[in-house]
Amino acid sequence: MSAVPLAVGFLIASLGALCGSSFINPALSAQPATARSAAPLELEKPASARPWQRYKVDSQGSSWPQTQWNNFTNLANAGVSPPMHAAPAFSLPVEGDAERGRLLAYDRARGGSCVVCHIMGKTTPAQPGNVGPDLSTVGATRDDQFLFNYVYDPRIYNAKSIMPPWGAFGVYRLDEVRDIVAFLKTLKEPYAITDKNENPNTRPAPVESRDNLEPTENPAMFGLDSGREVFTRKGANGKSCAACHSAPEIAFKTWAARMPRYEPRLQRVLGVEEFITRHARATTADEMLMQSNDNVALSIYLHNLANGAGISPDLSSAGARAALANGQTLMKRKVGQLNMACVDCHTREQHANKWVRGQYLVESKGTTAHFPTWRTSRGDIWDIRKRFQWCNVSVRANELPPDAKQYGDIELALAALNKGEKINSPGIRH
Amino acid sequence: MAEPMKIRAKMDGDAADVKVLMSHPMETGQRKNEKGDLVPMHFIQSVIATHNGKLVLDAQWSQAVARNPFLGFRVKGAKAGDKITVSWTDTAGDKGSIDSVVAA
Repeated sequence: MSAVPLAVGFLIASLGALCGSSFINPALSAQPATARSAAPLELEKPASARPWQRYKVDSQGSSWPQTQWNNFTNLANAGVSPPMHAAPAFSLPVEGDAERGRLLAYDRARGGSCVVCHIMGKTTPAQPGNVGPDLSTVGATRDDQFLFNYVYDPRIYNAKSIMPPWGAFGVYRLDEVRDIVAFLKTLKEPYAITDKNENPNTRPAPVESRDNLEPTENPAMFGLDSGREVFTRKGANGKSCAACHSAPEIAFKTWAARMPRYEPRLQRVLGVEEFITRHARATTADEMLMQSNDNVALSIYLHNLANGAGISPDLSSAGARAALANGQTLMKRKVGQLNMACVDCHTREQHANKWVRGQYLVESKGTTAHFPTWRTSRGDIWDIRKRFQWCNVSVRANELPPDAKQYGDIELALAALNKGEKINSPGIRH
Repeated sequence: MAEPMKIRAKMDGDAADVKVLMSHPMETGQRKNEKGDLVPMHFIQSVIATHNGKLVLDAQWSQAVARNPFLGFRVKGAKAGDKITVSWTDTAGDKGSIDSVVAA
């Protein structure tokens, strides 16, 4: 960039500081900003593939589960999961095969296994979690009836439990619940894990120390180069993004930090990625569906231009406030066969900063500013909506298309929660 | 496609510390695509690094190397201002190359 636009940048920055967000630079009038004439958007078509089909593999070949959980609540349909009900009649004492129960309790293929959240006596396999209580002595303190009911559906005793209703939601058959109870009854000896890295209560929290903006460390930086290319490339009608946005370093200095935003013409919240799809259709006539390579690349480029800017969603309109409230409500909705809500795992009041097996649950605050992000475990760059989709699938709830209104509301609620966090994109995470 | 390689070279004691990231799918030939068909084998086979034109590293790679390979090595005796070049050839005969001047 030459010295002249830099000087303009300083001028705008200083005037902007004087006048607040209402300042409009006439030289940049093609730029969308808050309280400005509306940017051209295509408003009719969906911004992602229809009918939406779940990913089968990521680009590196990491697979997505393919089960459909149509009988359970998700973010788009409330009240589908079976209501809480008493466990079916069972005879006491509960008879079962303790060894089969132990295998079930440790089986990662079924419900993720009990050790995801619990220490379970001296046969506990590697890296147990600590979301739930240590069960090493549960067989000495609880009776058969309690154990059976609790595994069947913990809400029978504890409305606040976040444990999945294993029996009631059909993760385990009744004979399997009996086997698990038989195993639990054998747990009578306290078990101290002395290895500090093995014990979830002393295991150090993971620290991400990789330099996300170092091109030789973060493969998503290749996406930044692609994004810059897409920005200057001629679109289907011969016009490029750069044809209107001639000084992107200035114009987009804070833009991505002010997204997502409520769009009155669509009456819902648009994130950077959906905005790209709709704005490109209306301006360059390019078709860049959400989560396509071009879309993600442009999203990285636009987020990267706003690096250092504090997240500051516009919540001034009634529409935005309604969307925010809905997003906050959705984050409390129990979804999927595992019956979990965002807040169950990602708030300090609940179970954030604990371990689910070898994975660490982070708080919602501090987790959005690095998107789109390279995921080393998946070999793929994910925008924030793909992250939402993966969260849904992980608790066995059908995911929504990336342009779903509900995801927009949640993205806005997360932006409000992360207000002031500095954009730092592209990120790199495991 | 954007520049498919990234390189950093800078002095660290009496050696140049070189880091290279290559953008490559490194297909093993065993992965299936969305339709369930095998994705053909396609990986970087040979990597060569030169220091001022002189060969300093000659590597034969296989399917075992991950996607977007990272390569780090040190060149003893290099000085600031020297030229480091890293090039690769894959199983399809495609080539990539990048060079960098060693920073102080």
